Amino acid sequence: MTSTHWPLVEVAARLLERDEREAVLGDLLETGEGGWRGLLDVLGLVVRRQILHWRSWRPWLAVFGLALPGSLLLMGFSVSISSIYERLVDRRILIGSPHPIHEAFFQLLCRGLLLIGGSWACGFVMGSMSRRTLWVSIASSCFPCLFCLVRFREPSLSRLCLFLFLLPAIWGVRQALRLTRLNLTFAIFLAIAITTLTILPTNSRGVWALNWTLVWPAWYIVATAQGDGRKAGQS
Amino acid sequence: MLGEFEYLLITAAAGLGDKAYGAAIREEMEVTTGRRCSIGALYTTIDRLETKGLLKTWMSDATPQRGGRAKRMVRVTSKGVQAAKNFYDAITRVSRGASWVVNRTGRAS
Repeated sequence: MTSTHWPLVEVAARLLERDEREAVLGDLLETGEGGWRGLLDVLGLVVRRQILHWRSWRPWLAVFGLALPGSLLLMGFSVSISSIYERLVDRRILIGSPHPIHEAFFQLLCRGLLLIGGSWACGFVMGSMSRRTLWVSIASSCFPCLFCLVRFREPSLSRLCLFLFLLPAIWGVRQALRLTRLNLTFAIFLAIAITTLTILPTNSRGVWALNWTLVWPAWYIVATAQGDGRKAGQS
Repeated sequence: MLGEFEYLLITAAAGLGDKAYGAAIREEMEVTTGRRCSIGALYTTIDRLETKGLLKTWMSDATPQRGGRAKRMVRVTSKGVQAAKNFYDAITRVSRGASWVVNRTGRAS
C-alpha cells in the first residue's frame, strides 16, 4: 500500500461500520494491495452497502417525506416567527393593524412552540429512521435551504431568520443518535402538543396539507416508543 | 439454492477451517478460480450467507501483522454445509452427459 493512497483508503473506509472497517483495512494491509485498487475496493463495498440500505422504504421516506418538505415548511415557520417578533418589537407597525399586541404575542408563542417541537421531532425521526443514510437526508434538507437563501427578498429581516429551526432540529438528530428508546409518555405528550398547535387557527388558516409534515414525525415517535424493549429507528 | 459465488465462498471457507477470514477466503477463491474477487462482493456475500444462517462470523483479536486490525472470522454452519452439498449434487446431476464432462472423463457420448 503506497503511503500517498492509504489516507484516502482510510477516509473512504470511514463510510463503513466500525467492525467492517477494521476487517477491510486489515485485509488490505495484510495482502499489501495497491493503493488505487484498494481504494476502489473500499468504495465498491461502500456503494454496495448504500444500495442495500436504499432497498428499504425508510431512507426514501426520510428524504422525500421529511427532509425536503420539512425543511421548506420549517423555514416558512422561521420567517413567520421572525415577522411576528419584528411586529412586536416595532410597535409602530402594530398601530393601525387589526391585530392587538396580545394576539401577536399569543401567535408568537404558539408558532415558537410549534417550531421548536416540530423541528426537534423532524430531526429525531430523520436521525432514527435511517441512521446509515442520515448523510443523504441531511444533504437533501440543505437543497431547499440553499434555494430559499438565494431567493430570500425580505429587506427588514436577516437571512438568518430562515434558519431558526436548525438548532432544535440538530438537537433532535443528536438525541436520535444517542437514545435507543424514547419515553412513551413524553412521546404522546409531544405528539398531542404538536398536533394541537398545528390545527390551531393562529398557526394555520385551515389545515394546510403540508403542515402535516410536522405532525406525522411526532406520531411516528409514539409508534416506535410503544413496544417495551423495542429500539427506535433501526434500519 | 446457492449461487455460484456463494458456493465458492462456502467451499473456500470450509476448506480453510479455523483459518477462514476475509483475506484468506478471498485469496483462496482467486487462486482456485483464477478470477479477481472484490472486497465488496466478498463481504456483502458473507453478510447475506450469515443472514441465511449458512455462515457464522465474529471479530477476532487485533494482530500486529495487520496493523493492529481485527479479522472477521468465518465458520460454515451445518446448514451451510448442507446447502453446499445440495448445490454440488445438483451441478453434478445436471452435468451428466454434457460434452465437456464426457470429454474430460474420456468416455464416448
